[in-house]
Order: sequence, then C-alpha cells, then structure tokens
Amino acid sequence: MSVLSRPWLWSWLAAAAAFSLTLGLTSGRGAGELGYAALSFGAFAAIVGLGQMLVITLGPGNVDLSIPATMTLAATLALKAMGSDPGTAFLGLVIALAVGFGTGVANYALIFLLRLPPIIATLAASLIYQSLAIWSNRGLRIKPPSGLADFATGRFLGLPNVAWVGLALAILVWIVLERSVWGRWLLATGQNLRVARLAGVPVELVRASTYISVAVFASLAGYLLASFSGGAALNMGQEYLLMSIAVVVIGGSSIAGGNSNVPGVWGAALFMFLVVSMLNSYGAGAGVRNVLTGTIIIAIVIAASSRRART
Amino acid sequence: MTLSKMLLSAAGLALSAGLAQAESHMSETADKRIALSNNYAGNSWRQAMLQTWQEIGAQAVADGIVAAADAYTTSENQPTEQAAQIQNLILQGYDAIVLNAASPTALNGAVKEACDAGVIVVSFDGIVTEPCAWRIAVDFAAMGREEVDYLASRLPDGGNLLEIRGLAGVFVDDEISKGIHEGVEVHDQFKIVGSVHGDWAQDVSQKAVAGILPSLPDVVGVVTQGGDGYGAAQAFKAAGRDTPLIVLGNRQDELQWWADQRDATGYETLSLSIAPGVASLALWVAQQILAGEEVPKDLTVPFLKITQDNLDDALATTSEGSVANVTYSLEDAQQVISDAK
Repeated sequence: MSVLSRPWLWSWLAAAAAFSLTLGLTSGRGAGELGYAALSFGAFAAIVGLGQMLVITLGPGNVDLSIPATMTLAATLALKAMGSDPGTAFLGLVIALAVGFGTGVANYALIFLLRLPPIIATLAASLIYQSLAIWSNRGLRIKPPSGLADFATGRFLGLPNVAWVGLALAILVWIVLERSVWGRWLLATGQNLRVARLAGVPVELVRASTYISVAVFASLAGYLLASFSGGAALNMGQEYLLMSIAVVVIGGSSIAGGNSNVPGVWGAALFMFLVVSMLNSYGAGAGVRNVLTGTIIIAIVIAASSRRART
Repeated sequence: MTLSKMLLSAAGLALSAGLAQAESHMSETADKRIALSNNYAGNSWRQAMLQTWQEIGAQAVADGIVAAADAYTTSENQPTEQAAQIQNLILQGYDAIVLNAASPTALNGAVKEACDAGVIVVSFDGIVTEPCAWRIAVDFAAMGREEVDYLASRLPDGGNLLEIRGLAGVFVDDEISKGIHEGVEVHDQFKIVGSVHGDWAQDVSQKAVAGILPSLPDVVGVVTQGGDGYGAAQAFKAAGRDTPLIVLGNRQDELQWWADQRDATGYETLSLSIAPGVASLALWVAQQILAGEEVPKDLTVPFLKITQDNLDDALATTSEGSVANVTYSLEDAQQVISDAK
C-alpha cells in the first residue's frame, strides 16, 4: 500500500494546507503561535474524536450523541467537588472519570435493555445528563484549582500539556486497536455483527466496553477543557457534538464501521481548528465560512474514500 | 386598649388606606395566572434569568398580586417545540404568557393564536414581531455604538480593533455588530482588522481569538457582545501579547478579572450587558396589562452598565460564577411604561 492510499493522509494534508495558507497572509509570522494554539484546541477535539471513532467502528447506527452532555456533567460535578481548593485535582479527575463511566453504562443499558437505536438512546440520555448538570450547579462557574489550571494551560518540551494527553491517548487507542484481542473483536463486530457473534466474539461485551470508553474519553475532555478555560459552563460541550463525528469522518475512518484510523483523527482535529482560523484570518463572514468548511470537508472525505476504493 | 396601641392601630389603618390606593392595580390581578415560556436554559445568563423569575414570581404570588407565575422551558431551543408549548399554555388557561422566543418570526402563528384566545403575550430579550404581542426590547445597536464611543474616548488616536461576535444568524448578534460598525464609521480612526464568532461563550471565544491572533497586526481594542471578554483576555495572554482594551460583558469571571487587572496595573474598561432580571420587568409589565393599564406595545429597557466607579459594588452583589444582575420592581415597570408613552 503506497503512502497516497492511506486515508489519514488527506486530513494531515488539509491541515498543512490550512496552516500554510494562514501563514501566507502574515508572511510566516506567528507560525509557532498558530501551531501551539492548534495543538491546544485540537487536543480536545482529538480526545472526543478518538472515543467517537471507537463507537462508529462498531458498525452502522452506532454513534454517541451524548458526548456534549457527558462533558458538561463530568466537568460541572468535578469542578464543584474541587471547589477551587488546591490539591483536589486528582479527586476531580476521579469524579469526572466516574461520571463518564456512569453515563457510559447508562447509555449502554438503554441500548441493550430497551433495544433502543443508539442515536435515540444517547440523545435522550443526553437531555437527562444536561438537566443533571443544570440542576447540580445552576450554571455557576467555579474556577479550577490554580495548580490544575496551570497544568491545563501549561507546556512541556514546547508542546501544550493537553496535546501530550491527547497524543498519549491516541497511542493507547492505536495499540489497543492494532495489537490487542479487544481491538480485533471491535473491528470484527463493526465489519459484521452476526459473523463476529458466530465466530465466538463476545459482541455485547465489546459494545458495552466501547460505549463506556467513549463516555470516559468525553468526561476526560470535559475535565481538561473546564480546567483549561477557567471553569465549566453549561454550553461548553455544544460544539463537540458535530466536531467529534466530523474528525472521525475527515480522519478517514469508515462511517459504516469496521475500519478505524487513529492518526487521521489527530490530523482532522488540527484541521478543524486551522480551517476556521484560516477563514477568520481572511475575513470570511459566518455564512461563507460555514459553506466553505462544509465544502472542504466533503472534498476531503471524497479524496480519502476514493483512494481507498481503488486499492 | 392603651393609648399607644390605639395610636398604632390608627397608624396601621392610615397606612393600609394609603396602600390600598397604591394597590388598586394589584387586587384586580389576584386571580390571574402568568406563565413564562422560555426557549433555552443552557447558560449562566438564562439560569440567572430563571432564578429571578422564580424569586419575583413566588413573591408576587405570596403577596396575592397574581395567582400563579410558572416557568416553562423547552429542552431543544426549537421554534416548533416552543410553538407547541405556547399552545399548551393557552389550553391550560393562563391569562398572560411572558415569552423569551426562540425566533422573532417563527412563533408568530402561535402568538396570534394566544392573542385570539384572549391571552396577553409579552415578549422580552428574544422578542417576536407579531403585532398583537408586547415587546420589551433592548436597543442592541445602541449598545454596539456605545462600545465604540467609549473606545474613542479612551483611545483618541484610534487603532486596530478585533470584533468578537455572538452566535451567527441570531438577531441580537446582527444588531450589536451593526451598531459596532456604525460606531466605527463615525470614529474612523478605528479599523476592524478581524472578526470572529465566539457564540457568547468563553471557551469558544478563547479558541476563535487564539486562531486569528497570529495573523493580526497590533490590536488596541476588542469589542465584544458579552460573555466572551475573559476568553479573549486569556487568548491574548497565551499569545504573549499586551492586553488591549477589552469591552466586557456581565459574567462574574470577566468582572473579577477586570478588578484583578485594575488592582495590578490600573486597567480601565467598561462593561455593557443586558441584565437577566429583565424577566422580572416582563412579569410586572404583564401584570400591569392584566390590571387594565394602557401599555404601549414597544418598550425599551436600559442596558446594564458597569464602570470603573461601580465595579466593586457590582462584584459584591454578584455571586461567584454567576452574572451581574438587576431585579426590576413594579415601580420600575411603571416607570418604563410611562417613559414609552
């Protein structure tokens, strides 16, 4: 398989193009600044995108629409428990991840016990999570402990800490998918559920663990985002609903499932930030920006999928 | 009965006689029921709005001014959903509906149905264009102009501005932005060199500003729509740039940041916003209409302005993580009504 036929290549090419077009405007000034910002904000999209990728890999109809609400609920409860007190960052992390685990279990319970299609189940559940977030804190913004805020906005070896977290998770997901039995089970389930079941794959176990993983990823992203931006807000997860699906598709994973692509998710996450920055820098209005973003996404998806079809 | 007791009761009688005069427009509405139809609850402004409604409404019910003041919020912020909600409220027999609408035009059909059924409809913040409804609007364009006027007074030499807009496609965003651009035409020493959409959310603004900053020349001022000032400040800090003059909104974290900067470097700016307590004004206006008062269809509320002088007062009355607020009384409503006549 040649390099050109790798579906993740296109998201990275697009990100690089958006990056250089923006810098073309400034004749190269601010490259470091822009790259740093892209890595910081891209990390959140990459983390939720990795989770969404696992679910989408499960096959047609599998998607988690409760990601924004899970992010908001996890962040709200974690920041409330921490109450800006120093030394509580770990407690907050545990609470956030526990919330994620809980929403993942609840999502899967709705899907498995009530036989609801995942789209309906996760959308309905997200209303409950969002309401819980509203009810628990009435939208008050509590600042993260200063140590945690410094970590979330800080850097290590010149790269943002949140990007290191996103990178570590990407490597972990890649190893699990490529090198573990569970990853093979997941791909087999996504390619054909019935065949996988007949071949002895514990498909329901795979599905349950996948829905729990995506919720845990979302809760981690929420926890980091709230620490990064100075507190949880009720609408903080909103833009990550479409974002999480977009980065999976642009990244070259198959929307029909059974085929996932870890490096593409990161490329797409960077691209999604850079394309908006590029269009903003060129002074495009909101309407033009949305149309162009949509057109570019379609073009990348076509490029990535037609290459794959030929191999 | 002792003399003092007699005096007291006489005074009490006189007092209640005076109150009866003032309350002449209250007893008539004692059996009226008012509903709030709200399209969205997912941010701190809306939460403060709902809380104000709850407090003022409960007090009004306890005082016997109205029979009920219930709040209903739709979950998905969709006009279709809110139209169905309004139809339900008509069927439930409310006498007045106070409305924060998901769309200025899409609810007109449902609002007309309410009017035809004899229900008073008072829209505020998100207003409706249906002529039979009352509108309590903020002059958003004036708010945008005032931001630029303020910048002109502080920076007479002018310079480059960054504009942070709200949610694309929303009426309020268009109006404030229009006002800002009108202001820049008047004060032509300013130039808007970049414009991003921050969706009135802190983290979205921070992201958008961080993305456009590398391509911008020096920026002396940032014009905003509220809720986004703190995020802009964070993005400037992360990029290692000097903090420009950022016009702020009314979120507590913005005001706290302002106070910290003021104490550290003598930073001076201005905060312009719409107080979520405007819901209480709408409640009183609805009560006045139900009481038979002549009320013009278009009312204007002043925006909430916080300056260097009253920053500490505003911070003291704003709970942590919330938004600066003003609660309107019946007298304020009567004042607004008589101003509009």
